[in-house]
Amino acid sequence: MSTDTTTPTADQPEAGETPESKPNFMRLFGRYLTEANSVMVTIYSLLLAFLIGAILLIVSDEYTRSTFSYFFSRPQDAWYASRDLIVESYTALFEGAILNLNTLDRYAAGTAEFGDLLRPLSETLTYATPLIFTGLAVGLAFRAGLFNIGAQGQMIFGMMGALIIGFALDLPAVIHLPLAVIAGALAGAAFGAVPGVLKATTGAHEVISSIMLNNIAALFLVWSISTEFLHSETKTDLITKPVDESAVMPKLLSGLSESLRVNWALLIGVAAAVFTWWLLSRSTFGFRIRAVGFNEHASATAGMRIGSTYTTTMAVAGGLAGLAGAALSLGVGAAGITTNTALEYGFDGITVALLGRAKPGGIVAAALLFGALKAGALSAQPDVPVDISTLLQAIIVLFIAAPALVKAILHLRTPRGGLVTLEAKGW
Amino acid sequence: MRLELKGLTKKFGSFTADDDIDLVVEPGQIHAVLGENGAGKSTLMNMLYGILTPTSGEILIDDKPVSFTGPGDAIAAGIGMVHQHFKLVGPFSVADNVQLGREHTQGMGVLSAKAARKAVLDVSEEYGLKLDPDAICEDLPVGVQQRVEIVKALSGPKTELLILDEPTAVLTPAEITELLQIMRNLAAAGTSILFISHKLKEVQAVADTVTVIRRGKVVAELEPTASEAEMASAMVGRAVTLQVDKTPAEPGEARLEIKDLTLVSDAGVKVLDGLDLTVHSGEIVGLAGVEGNGQTELARAILGLVKPDEGRIAIDGKDMHGASPADRIADGLGYIPEDRGRDGVISEFSVAENLVLNQYRDVPFARRGAVNSGAVRKRAVDSISEFDIRTQSPEEPVSALSGGNAQKVIIAREFSRPRRFLVAAQPTRGVDVGASQFIHSRLIAERDTGTGVLLISSELDEIYALADRIAVIYNGRIVGEVAPDTPRAVIGRLMVGADIAGADDTAPASDDDADQTDEEANGGDR
Amino acid sequence: MAVKPFKLALAGLSAVGLAALAACGEAPSENGGDGNADASFLACMVTDSGGVDDKSFNESSWAGMEAAAEENDDIKVEVKESSSETDYDPNLQAMVDNECNFIIGVGGLMTENVNTAATANPDTAFATVDGFSEVENVYSIQFDTAQSAFLAGYVAASQSKTGTVATWGGMKIPPVTIFMDGFAAGIEQHNTDKGTNVELLGWDAEAQEGTFLNSFEDTAAGKSTTDTFISQGADIIFPVAGPAGIGALTAAAENDAVNAIWVDTDGYESTEYGAELITSAEKGLANAVKDSVLAAYEAANGGEAITGSYVGTLANEGVSIAPFHDFDSAVSADTKAELEALTQQIIDGTLTVESPSSPAAQ
Repeated sequence: MSTDTTTPTADQPEAGETPESKPNFMRLFGRYLTEANSVMVTIYSLLLAFLIGAILLIVSDEYTRSTFSYFFSRPQDAWYASRDLIVESYTALFEGAILNLNTLDRYAAGTAEFGDLLRPLSETLTYATPLIFTGLAVGLAFRAGLFNIGAQGQMIFGMMGALIIGFALDLPAVIHLPLAVIAGALAGAAFGAVPGVLKATTGAHEVISSIMLNNIAALFLVWSISTEFLHSETKTDLITKPVDESAVMPKLLSGLSESLRVNWALLIGVAAAVFTWWLLSRSTFGFRIRAVGFNEHASATAGMRIGSTYTTTMAVAGGLAGLAGAALSLGVGAAGITTNTALEYGFDGITVALLGRAKPGGIVAAALLFGALKAGALSAQPDVPVDISTLLQAIIVLFIAAPALVKAILHLRTPRGGLVTLEAKGW
Repeated sequence: MRLELKGLTKKFGSFTADDDIDLVVEPGQIHAVLGENGAGKSTLMNMLYGILTPTSGEILIDDKPVSFTGPGDAIAAGIGMVHQHFKLVGPFSVADNVQLGREHTQGMGVLSAKAARKAVLDVSEEYGLKLDPDAICEDLPVGVQQRVEIVKALSGPKTELLILDEPTAVLTPAEITELLQIMRNLAAAGTSILFISHKLKEVQAVADTVTVIRRGKVVAELEPTASEAEMASAMVGRAVTLQVDKTPAEPGEARLEIKDLTLVSDAGVKVLDGLDLTVHSGEIVGLAGVEGNGQTELARAILGLVKPDEGRIAIDGKDMHGASPADRIADGLGYIPEDRGRDGVISEFSVAENLVLNQYRDVPFARRGAVNSGAVRKRAVDSISEFDIRTQSPEEPVSALSGGNAQKVIIAREFSRPRRFLVAAQPTRGVDVGASQFIHSRLIAERDTGTGVLLISSELDEIYALADRIAVIYNGRIVGEVAPDTPRAVIGRLMVGADIAGADDTAPASDDDADQTDEEANGGDR
Repeated sequence: MAVKPFKLALAGLSAVGLAALAACGEAPSENGGDGNADASFLACMVTDSGGVDDKSFNESSWAGMEAAAEENDDIKVEVKESSSETDYDPNLQAMVDNECNFIIGVGGLMTENVNTAATANPDTAFATVDGFSEVENVYSIQFDTAQSAFLAGYVAASQSKTGTVATWGGMKIPPVTIFMDGFAAGIEQHNTDKGTNVELLGWDAEAQEGTFLNSFEDTAAGKSTTDTFISQGADIIFPVAGPAGIGALTAAAENDAVNAIWVDTDGYESTEYGAELITSAEKGLANAVKDSVLAAYEAANGGEAITGSYVGTLANEGVSIAPFHDFDSAVSADTKAELEALTQQIIDGTLTVESPSSPAAQ
């Protein structure tokens, strides 16, 4: 949401059209750019990450590396090779994530359809969808001072909950799909509430308990897929039954092309982000979450129930992560889920929440960025190592988590109120 | 060491925290710097200790200009500092804390416990500061922890100037007496002391010279013989009356009834031991006692944050058994917690949010689960003007407020909703004179509207100024209820348990009559 | 003041990186050849979640692709890796967009996705490895590895001194359990023919239950599982788990009396633990993939269309057991003769090795 607040200030001087205010505005804007505030730190973190990514691309590319071996006899080789590699790699990421220039040419020539043009964006949105939910699940808990490492396990339970309703019941789509989605949310919520209850009643640290619950969920998934109830009737591989057609998330753009995978789960994700924003900033429950997150003693003194806040927050967070699971098992994984379907969306949600600074708008933006990186990397392979997206994510988060590092590298000024770091209490 | 500050100035952007400060501390002198919260005392000390760099001006030590780039330089130059908030490693022993940063080794990086112990014993013997080098710091009473800090500061290579930043803020009266004596001893041994405070009595008792600063400027140089009123008016810039005007109480029906209240701590100690106490409407009952005798637990039990093991609490005639804090607040219990930063406000929250912290779910601040920010803001605007809360806007976080204004936020919150009974614990702790005065008058006004008030304070002055009846707590029970005109000596004896008063009076002699009772309290010190 | 270390660190990072590249070599002549850059035929492969360096079927398939490109200059090859089955569709679609002439999906789980892509693109040739498809333009590549594992089981039974051998799998999926079924059947055969009573730990073919790591990567778990079996008396271990199987080999290397049988490839050559390996139950994946690519190339150039399916068996040498190498003298001439006879019976069809995971319709 922080970006929202900066836009109006950027627009004002132009609207005012006072000639004197222009240089003044430029100076203010310049100050803003050279200050280590949270928006600029985020932007600089992204730029630095792509810079370091470029260096690593050069080092990991055999041909480009070889041009450095004779750098002093013909430096232009190394220069051109590096430049081409970086341009090509980042272009490939861009083409896989946003717009494929090749397809654009074909579209202009009439050999590709409009839907084909949208495919990279569709993939970006598809990979971003689960991250929106898990990012919200971690971010919401952050605001209550809880470090929800358990989003992975909550997502797995949500995945199974939605799957079971998705194949076991025979209902019309208008009831079946919402019911399966709700089942996913409830399963995630139930599993998410466990570390909350443990913390509220026994003081067990949610980080420890949710890590363990992740393991339990992952192993439970492996076991349950092989049970007769869940296991595919047609395949011997470790895969579950598919969900019924009536419980599959409809594709949003199937009218344009069947290959556009982005589906209704994205809309649910956006709705969940809006809901979370409302919950945190407008509701009395959100008031309580934030109060407890900042200072549980003062909250208790003001009559708030700390234990129930933890439990409820974790349940809501688990429900959000459960929706990520539902998005998978009713969406891209509708043909049946395996031990791999959940990937590490739950853990990636932690980095998404960090990058989004635990604010719903930021989380959506961060999820889109990570989704784009994933879609781009998948499409850019084998020319670009597929791990580049994970690497870029890691570097970005490293810088975000250490604003002092960004400030020092770029000689930024300290903003009023100091550097903003995000941390969960309780450590 | 002779310390001189010449024209020392510190600016933060357009804000001038310290403006052209001149000050001289002669060798062996105790020099008090008096000022309200936010007057620029801490900024001054931080410059002196190398934490902040002056914008302009000079620091001279023995007439030679010095410049510090960090506390290390200051320590090397012979300056030691005891911070208001202790910088001790709780689980470490006293010896380890003292040697922290300059560890005694037997060479090769191997610590020498023996040398560390000896160093502590040497310093404590030299200055008469009794310390057990093997004690674990977090187990020690606050006063002793401060002694550790002082020994640590004195253990520098050649500490000749000691800065004490609000050293008495966290101490019990007995501990304060002891600290003042330690300061006198140190000065007698030649150490210069810069004593930062806003407590007039202490300054009078111990200082050789008093410099008063207000809004970053030196406004007065006084002798310690100056009257309290004189000092106070210099500090706040206007004449201050320390006496609170009040009419005799008109007690009505019982608003708080506590019978046989017993609470056993996790460690198995009876922190409340069959306590009985009644407070009526329209009266202020002052609860006097040495801190740590159950006051904190009593307040928490009244609010319902802890469940008593035995006994009953009734508020406004209603048995509170099983009632949650939220229930009690809804029933009209007002609560001013003793630890403002921990229990009173959420410093990251805005002033407006803090003002409705315990009412955010009530109409008109909330409807159907949604916060009505318009109503919250309106309340904030009203409270800010009614309670004179100095803030830039209702949206400003409380962390940006001074201690006094943060306390006013709490007062405003508690006084802006229907209440039948009020617990006010240390309501003016860490609050400057101006704000204290305001808070005191509000408490009196509150009493006059018929609310019952239980005032828990470690400052007898405050209790004398406000209370209509004084109850003394010792070891978790009320050992006496006396009239407000009871002499200090009597209350002092009650505070340490009447039976043992005077029996083992080992406190150092004091030349200050006002501290007589505190001295006795020392005898019964935990 | 705190700036310098970070800047130094960053500068140092780049400097070290560049220095390590020893930037003083000779410049090569212009125009370095880049594979078969101008080839007319593009063969593409999509891996399953193991990735192309999984030391298992993805890697073997890729080796076959590269071998085909090696053999025919007019073929170039490309691969995309999947991190989960949700990546299959976009990866296959990307290959279609790349205008690949032949697209191979590795792993039975991908078969349906391959079918969908093949139906949508009827002019492109597809193949599925370890899966069976009835779609016209999808070529199925399967292996009856139960046959090679059968022979491996027979050898294991003949070589065990403790009378106990063990197997464990990476994951309970058909390409794994088929080996375990064959292995169990081979031991059974030895027990029946020779009157021995060799016991198999880790797999119950009847109940289709056994020991699985649930990982193809975790060598530490592989080693501890193996150690458990060794402590229960097993002296020959048959790990069916790709790279995680290395854990079994390290455990065998630590115990003089314990040896192992490798899977998929000849472990004597593909691992560092040749001295521990009696033999390997090979699966001629690379060859089959290579042959299919070459056949697809022929088809694209006027040859016969590549269709139907391929099942690697002992008969067509699609599966086999590796040479005994260091154990050649340890395996008796009688045993070798018996193996030859059994091989012949399987080829004849007089002996069938059954597994629920055997390749579907042939």
